[in-house]
Parts: sequence; C-alpha cells; structure tokens
Amino acid sequence: MANWRLFFNPSGDAADIVSYGAALAEGRIVGKYQLSGGSLSDTLVIQGVKQKSIVAGADVKVDKEKSTKENIDVAYASRQGRRGAKPVGSINLSELMSKASATFEAVDRDLDDPAVLIYTSGTTGKPKGVMLSHRNFYSQCADVSTSVFPLGVSDTVVLVLPLYHVYGLSNGLLLGIFNGTRLALVPQYSPQALYDAIESTDATALIAVPAMYTQLVTLAKRKKAQMPKSLRICVSGGAPLPHRVLEDFEKEFNTRIAEGYGLTETTSAVCLNEFGENFKLGSIGPPAPGVEMTVFDDQNNPVPTGQEGEIVIKGDVVTKGYWKLPEETASTIIDGWLHTGDLGYVDEDGFFFITDRKKDLIIRGGYNISPREVEEVVYTHPKVSEAAVIGVPDKRGEEAVKTFVVLRDGETATEREIVEFCEAHLSSYKVPKYVEFIEQLPKSPTGKVLRKELRGESGESDRMITEN
Amino acid sequence: MPFGLFKKKTGSAGGDASSVQHDGPKTVGQIFEETVASLKKREAITYEGKSYSFREVDEQASRVANGLKTLGINAGDRVAMMLPNIPEFVFSFYGIQKLGAIAVPFNTLYKGREIIHILNDSGARAIITLTNSANLFNEIREDCPALEHVIVTGQRTLVFLDPNGTVNVQAVVAQDAFEGPDDAFRKFGEVYVETLKELGVAEAWYKHQGAVRVGGKKIANIVIQEIENLYVLNSVCFLDNLQMDDYFKVIYVTPELKDKVVEPMTSVREVTGALPTLEQFRDVFAASLRAKLGIEIEPGQLKRDEKFGYEKNRALAYKQ
Repeated sequence: MANWRLFFNPSGDAADIVSYGAALAEGRIVGKYQLSGGSLSDTLVIQGVKQKSIVAGADVKVDKEKSTKENIDVAYASRQGRRGAKPVGSINLSELMSKASATFEAVDRDLDDPAVLIYTSGTTGKPKGVMLSHRNFYSQCADVSTSVFPLGVSDTVVLVLPLYHVYGLSNGLLLGIFNGTRLALVPQYSPQALYDAIESTDATALIAVPAMYTQLVTLAKRKKAQMPKSLRICVSGGAPLPHRVLEDFEKEFNTRIAEGYGLTETTSAVCLNEFGENFKLGSIGPPAPGVEMTVFDDQNNPVPTGQEGEIVIKGDVVTKGYWKLPEETASTIIDGWLHTGDLGYVDEDGFFFITDRKKDLIIRGGYNISPREVEEVVYTHPKVSEAAVIGVPDKRGEEAVKTFVVLRDGETATEREIVEFCEAHLSSYKVPKYVEFIEQLPKSPTGKVLRKELRGESGESDRMITEN
Repeated sequence: MPFGLFKKKTGSAGGDASSVQHDGPKTVGQIFEETVASLKKREAITYEGKSYSFREVDEQASRVANGLKTLGINAGDRVAMMLPNIPEFVFSFYGIQKLGAIAVPFNTLYKGREIIHILNDSGARAIITLTNSANLFNEIREDCPALEHVIVTGQRTLVFLDPNGTVNVQAVVAQDAFEGPDDAFRKFGEVYVETLKELGVAEAWYKHQGAVRVGGKKIANIVIQEIENLYVLNSVCFLDNLQMDDYFKVIYVTPELKDKVVEPMTSVREVTGALPTLEQFRDVFAASLRAKLGIEIEPGQLKRDEKFGYEKNRALAYKQ
C-alpha cells in the first residue's frame, strides 16, 4: 500500500490555498534536479479558510477597497509561464510561442475568402456562421468607419467591448490597427474599470453600448468630481441610446457621441447618426460611403419615402453568406441585397429610422404597434430607468402591449401611473395593458434587450447566441 | 445627398486624426503588416500598465502563426478563440490572419452545447482559450471530433471560499501512479463520490472530467493540471451553500450575467441537513482514499525547499 503525506490546515487563508499546491510541485521539480526528489512523496492537502476568501486568476478584476471593507481575503493565482503547470491535455500558448520564430510574412489570400466566422442567431434555429472576408473588413475600415469615426495615430481608443463580437472586433480592433491607433484593452467591464481606463490612458475615443454610457453617467453624477475630458469622439451601438443619456454623457465628458447601426452580416456599422449639425434624433443616420440602403416591401420592391418596410443593404461590407448554409444565404441575400429583418423607413433627407424587428411587431385590432415607439414614451417617465415592450395575449386571445419597467434607484411607482402617463402620449391601442416592474432587463453582452426572454420563450438551457 | 454628409477625417474636438495610409484592399494580415511597417516602435497596446509596440505585437503574432503551423494548422483552417480582451487575443487573432487561417472568435460565457455547435459547424481544428476553460474543452472533446488542439493562456480562475461552507482538497502526485489524465480524473472522482456517500449524500455522481454532481447541481469541482512528471489536483467541495452576493460585492459582474456565471450548486448540508466538520471530512476522505486507491495517508511537514516555495508563493499571491 502506497503512503501519501497529509497536510491538514483547517483554518488557513486564501494565500494558503494558492501556495501549498504550488510549493509542493516546485519542491518536487527542484528536488528532481538535485537528485533528492525521492525524499518528497506524493502529498494530499486538505484545507479550510478562517474567513470568506476568493482565489482569483491574475486576469480577474477585484475591487480591493471593497474586499477590505467586506472582510473578504483575496489571493491571486499567478499567470502560467511557459514552464508552469497547465491543464491536462492542453498546449500552453506561451510555450508554443517561445519555440517559434518571431518573423512570419502574411500569406496572400483571395480577398473574398473568409477571414473570420462570427456566429449569430437569427429568429429561429441554431446559430449561423457569418463569413466575413478580407474585403468586408477592408471596406468597413476604409470606407465606412473612417468617415465618421476618424481614428488617427495620436488617438487612444478604449477597447472595452468584447473583441469576439463583430462590433468590438470590426470597429475597435481592426479599425484601430488599420489607422495605427493606440489600443487600451479592458479585459473585464465594470463602470469603474472603464472610467479608470479612460482616465489612466488619456483615451480620446470610445466605442461602447448604451448600458455603458448610462452607467458612466451615473458614476459621474455620483462622484461629483471632475470627469476626464480627453474623449474627443464616441460611438454607441448595439441598441438604441436613450437621448437623455446621450445629452448627459456629452455634457459630463465634454464629448460627442455618434450612434451607429449595423449587423454581423455587414461587418458591423453601415450607417452612423453623426454628431453635430447633421444629427437627427431617433435616426440611425444615412448610409455610409460604399453602402447602399433602401426599404423594400414584402415583394422586394422599393417603397416610397416615409413608408415602412424592411431595410435592405448592399455593398462591400455585406457578407458572402452563412458558412455551409447555401439555402439560408439565398433567402437572406437576394440579388445582392441583404435583408436585415429590421423594419424602418427613410425620410426625405436620406436618414433611416428603425421602427422594429419584423418579429417583434405587435398587432392589435389590425393595427401594427412598434414596441420601440411605446418604449420611447415609457422611457421619458421621470421615475423610469429602463423599459422594454412585448406583445402578450390578453384574456380574449388578442395581442396586447405589455411593458417591463426598471425604476430609477429609490423610486416607487404604480402600474396605473405608468399607464396614465402613456395614455397622455400614445394612441389608445398602443397604451400598455400590462405593466410589470423588474429589477433588470435581460440583455445580450452588447446591451440588446432580449425580448425572447421577456416573452418566456427561451430558458437558460436553450440559450444559444443572444446578440446579433 | 446622404453620401455628401460624410467627409474624410472630420474629427470634432481637435486631436490629430492623421492615420496610416493603405493603398488599396489587402488581407487583414497584410493590412496589419503595413501598419507595423509604418509605426514600428510606436505604442500599439496598453494593458494593465504594460505596453506593446506595433513591432512587438507583430513579433508575437508571428510566433502564434509559426506555432500554429507546427501543429499542422494551414491557410483556410478554422481556429476558434474564446478569450477576453487581453493582449493574447490580439496576438492570436493576427497570428491566425498572417497564417491565412480563419478566426472563429466567440463569447467567453458560452456553455457546453453552444460551444459544441460552433466547433462542429466550423470544423475548428484548434481553440485558443483561457487556462481555466481547458477543463470545459476536455469535457466536450469527444463531442467535437475535428478539434485537435486546446491551446491555453491567461488566468481567470475564480474560486469562492467560506469558513463553514467549503473545503479544498489538493494533491501533488507522480504521474506514473496513473494510466493517464483520464485515469487520474476518474480515480479522484471515485474517491470524491465515496466520500460524499459516506457523508450521507447518496445521490452523488461523477461522469467525466469536471464536477461531482447531485442531480444536475454541482457539489464539488475537480481540476487536474500537469507539470513535468506530476499531476496537481485542485478541488473544492461545498459543505454548505455559499452566500454569493457577498463575493459579487468585490467582483463586478453585470447583473444580467450574474446568474449565468454561477452554476446551480448544492451542498452536503442542503442534501443531508447536517454540516460536517473539516476533521470529519478529512477522516472520511482518507478512508475513501484507502478503500478506492489503496493509499494510506500520514501527517507530514513541509521540507526545506517546500517551505521556501510556500513563502515565495504566499508573497506573490498577495502582491497584485
């Protein structure tokens, strides 16, 4: 029978949890080279902690002040070096890199070959791999983004949006590299981490989602301190930015925000509602250079100016299609026009307005209701922080408007209050029949409200990809 | 009319908007190289107080490209990436682009089923991910036949510990006592299941690398790492349910994602109504080790080299 040593440490601390295993392994390895390894046997360590503790990886952000205040002991597990322990069955990236040469000339590829596959869910089915080619990215950087998000070599752009998402990847990383811009990487978002990144790097540019702008404004108001004024340009996308937040943010940070619109299928942005004199409230802006946009009816014919239909897009930023899904590709890209599934219209100045997603449309008494329109009204209620609207069946089986409401901190309100407020601003058929107060709206990582979850259509086990 | 609204380089509030000039469409990898050639030593990335010039990023990306090549990855192959915004994301992404392969980046919060679909649909031959996600990929590997390599970097481990609620079990053992990593996982899993059964958790089960569960809920988590000729086991067992809110006060996770970060968990106390002491757990674990693996444990002391390593690692653990 083999013998193992036992260390029993019932009231240790967080550092003990990290240190015993590491020390034992290092001791064995050192011992091996000193030919004394035989004296160190296999060892078991059983430990408890004497206070609440966290063992955090070196890349996890922990609030030190709060951990002291909450009496939580925090120890860090170090980053594995190229000779450190690694999970079984894996290859250590630093080890792989250390053995490899530091020169490699980029392989030439056909510009229409895919460079990236990004998986995105449509309205049904499993996520589809959107093929984004070298040409798609070139056009996004050279034609679209550069026009209204003019990054330069003297800029620092904060990359807090996840780079696995088309928005952060395309308008953040690739645009930054294209223009030679300094990139400030933020590995884990928190309002404070983003604030710190802006301040410590003297960032001049920010791309973010509405929730981040909202939380930065809240943070700024709470701090009542001088906010960094280094930001010269900001872009918001992923979901509509409430106008109130836009104005507050621009004031606090002395900057301007442009609102963007785009899809994974268009390598991110296709148009931006530019700051300054060309800004139009509620619009997604005109199409960017190199992008054609129009509005089609159900028979794929253009509709007159001002009339609602489906927004369609053509241009070098449009994907060649979905990976190994020719039928899905053929039904989404028809005669070169990408069908976005977004409903909207274009005004006489060529500015586009989104009214809703096709699927989110609510139909009551033969009238179409845009959840967005109702939400915008609820948003203007002074006690309301956030709102989302869906269609639900009423007692007669007809679709009725339901709004979910997140109140501002410390506020209370009744359902009646919200309904009466809406009655003052909306046609009667658009007024919510049901109001539900919740603490937080379910959102995708880019801040898009997940209406499906509000409808109770997707449980956790069915969640695939939530952002577009 | 709409096109007239867009002018090149219309920065609003001052700032130098001059940028690198590219003379026409090229691949993503070639555009990167043009920027590098133009800016060389200029700072490209700032991350947690560290700085990388464009040339350094290019060297790192080239190392990734060459490294992937040695693994047999070629132009046109898919390489998945599940990484947060750390410099390795940039090195890996441009390494893949230089090689002419296809990057498949996806959400770091995805779980098994979502990942299996993406890996199988794309036919990715390799994945570059965080060290603490490696276990997840080992668990699903048999469901992803095209996946040949799991490449790990970074460190985002997150373990919550409580004086009454958790016990940590670690082991540092020679690899030759086991027939391979699967065997080590299986044997430690058996010891855990036996221990929990002795403590009254009759429904504890363990299938493959990862967690010991009761029904669908996690009651213990097992990670095995390798270094040289050793296996290092790290595991935590839940004796009582944890009050998670306290931990989330010091680590920021967006509210809507919080419930997705924490897996449903249970504990010995929740299942049996009784909270074992650490001494009881130790004795039962020792008996299970004897019964399942024929191993006797004896109290020991740290040797000189180990003591030195222990102090050094403690200092590092609190340094950050």
